Amino acid sequence: MSAEIRIKGLNQYYGKKQALKNVNLTIETGMFGLLGRNGAGKTTLMKVLATLLPKSEGSVTICGKNVEDAAKIRKIVGYLPQEFSMYGNMTVYEAMDYLGVLSGLSKSQRKQRIPKLLCKVNLQEDQKKKVKTLSGGMKRRLGIAQAILHNPKVLIVDEPTAGLDPEERVRFRNLLCEIAEERIVILSTHIVGDIEATCEEIAVLDEGCVIYQGTVAELIKMAEGKVYSAEISKKELDLLKKRYVVTSMLTLGNNVMVRFIADRKPFDSAKLCEAGVEDAYMYLMHGKRGED
Amino acid sequence: MFGQLFLKECRETARSLIYWILVGIMLFFFATQLGETEIAREPEKGQESYGMHQSEDPDVIMRNTLGTLADEYYRESYTTYPIGFAKTVKPDKKEQKRIGEILEEATGLDQGEIKKTMEEYYGSVTGLVAEMPMEPVDGLTYKRFKELMKEVDELLGGGSHYGEQYLAANGIEPMTYEDAIKEYHLLVEKDGLSGGYARLFSDYMVIILGILPVFLATTREMRDRRAKMQELIYTRRAKSGTIVVSRYLSMIVMTLLPLFLLSFLPLAECIKVAASDGIRIDHLAYAKYILGWLLPTVMIVTAVGMFLTDLTDTAAAVLVQGVWWFVSVFTGVQGIDGGAYGWNLIPRHNTELNYKGFHDGFVQLVSNRVLYVSFAIIIVALTVGIYSQKRRGRLNVRGKILADRKSKS
Repeated sequence: MSAEIRIKGLNQYYGKKQALKNVNLTIETGMFGLLGRNGAGKTTLMKVLATLLPKSEGSVTICGKNVEDAAKIRKIVGYLPQEFSMYGNMTVYEAMDYLGVLSGLSKSQRKQRIPKLLCKVNLQEDQKKKVKTLSGGMKRRLGIAQAILHNPKVLIVDEPTAGLDPEERVRFRNLLCEIAEERIVILSTHIVGDIEATCEEIAVLDEGCVIYQGTVAELIKMAEGKVYSAEISKKELDLLKKRYVVTSMLTLGNNVMVRFIADRKPFDSAKLCEAGVEDAYMYLMHGKRGED
Repeated sequence: MFGQLFLKECRETARSLIYWILVGIMLFFFATQLGETEIAREPEKGQESYGMHQSEDPDVIMRNTLGTLADEYYRESYTTYPIGFAKTVKPDKKEQKRIGEILEEATGLDQGEIKKTMEEYYGSVTGLVAEMPMEPVDGLTYKRFKELMKEVDELLGGGSHYGEQYLAANGIEPMTYEDAIKEYHLLVEKDGLSGGYARLFSDYMVIILGILPVFLATTREMRDRRAKMQELIYTRRAKSGTIVVSRYLSMIVMTLLPLFLLSFLPLAECIKVAASDGIRIDHLAYAKYILGWLLPTVMIVTAVGMFLTDLTDTAAAVLVQGVWWFVSVFTGVQGIDGGAYGWNLIPRHNTELNYKGFHDGFVQLVSNRVLYVSFAIIIVALTVGIYSQKRRGRLNVRGKILADRKSKS
């Protein structure tokens, strides 16, 4: 049985509105990043893969199993939803135990796996704490632990780092990378930094369409020779913003150090820079808008 | 998986605030309605009162019914229960005249005599106004009486004390010593003493069980949405049937548990009296009545709560069950002394006596209870179907309602 996800010609509708348009993707073991703006269709795609939405058209197989066979898919997929929460009055251990029962784990399996997983997500000291008392970061780590409780072949994680402080975010990314060593992990996010730090393979969704699939390096390559930086006066900033896509800026007194995308050198003081994932992503999104 | 999930759901129910509120209401209801119940001893001659009982004697029914009719005719105001709710009916002159003619035919008294009798009655009564019997005219057959009362009922729009199905309920009369001895022996010999009291216990408790379980079911089903647990549970391996049925059974068991515990108090009283009076008691009477009389009501109310909450993701079930409960309680009043159980969700038998009424209405009662158990099973099966569809992202009724509201605003 192949450890891969195959999506062919997937169309998804909410009434008359089309949320996914002819999506074709192949995802293999390891971290896979799904990048896109809010409302691009990422959560819809995640929900189709997690059997929470019936697909409208196309074919989706996970490890050789049709996604319509929900009972089989649920055995091999772990899911951490965008808005993750648990019954607040349960302790961390009880919440895991409850979901373990729903995952079909025996008492001995739960006794063995839950402490291990809580240790893995660094919550072993907090297992007697009520879920409602956990911080946002601790809740997300608990979310990961519950999602891999039944040792799934595929882990789907939807916008997991939103609202986390920088330290928790780094810890969370590292945790995902560890987990992805032996399974497919799909990380859906609109935060480019998460993708840059964790994923080799990515896809970019925009308005329901896959506008890019490949490696992060290839994406960066697309923007090579198109990223410039320059120190300009604050008065010139508005004009620059109108003409180019500004990817970052830093105020320096009356001047601003800007980083922007341009097809060719726009003025003498502009310096060509090495492109990053964020630049490449902005170039891709801007380029697509330009084609429209 | 089922057994473990069932135990976890029981534990969750036991930890919920709403459950303890329900238990508190049960305790309060028990204490206020049944807390002072004294177990009957053999009646002795010369007692001040032997209580009331339901008589099937046509003379008693005719006397009481005509007394009520004379009273309502005199006041020109009639109480009816067309759909269970009390309604005051004021007939027009033509209808009132015809009722007067019927009363004259049934009692042999003319309008002036009826008026005088009522004035004397009201003049003599101090404190609470009690039922006033009125003798039927000599030679009035029960058949003709029923025809006349049927006409009155039709003039009043139905649901009055004079409708054929309600006439029997008018046969309440004080018991004589002989009646009391007869009832006592039936209680001891046929009901094993505790049977009659278990019936009385069920009669009271079924009133609150016609509504309370819906709160438990609704809050349990809404809790997943409030805690944002729906998607976590939906993507699990457990079958929809396992999830829904384990929750359902846990709520049933947890609702019955305080009833079983409470029943030990009156059972202990019965055991004490039985021991001193040398009576052979039915120790399992309360268990039998809880399972036979109360369980079907708990089952259907819980099922309705789960079904409507899962279907709509709202607390609509409370409203629906509230209306059903209200209608059932009011219609149940008509057969409060037992025997006339009909198809009411809340069958009444507000006495430890009237074994005969229970015996005669037993088949109807069993049919009633089996019907509700069957409905409950069907509704739970439908709930499993709905839950299964929702796990796949279908049947988002709440989403549609919210979308409609949004588009209208």
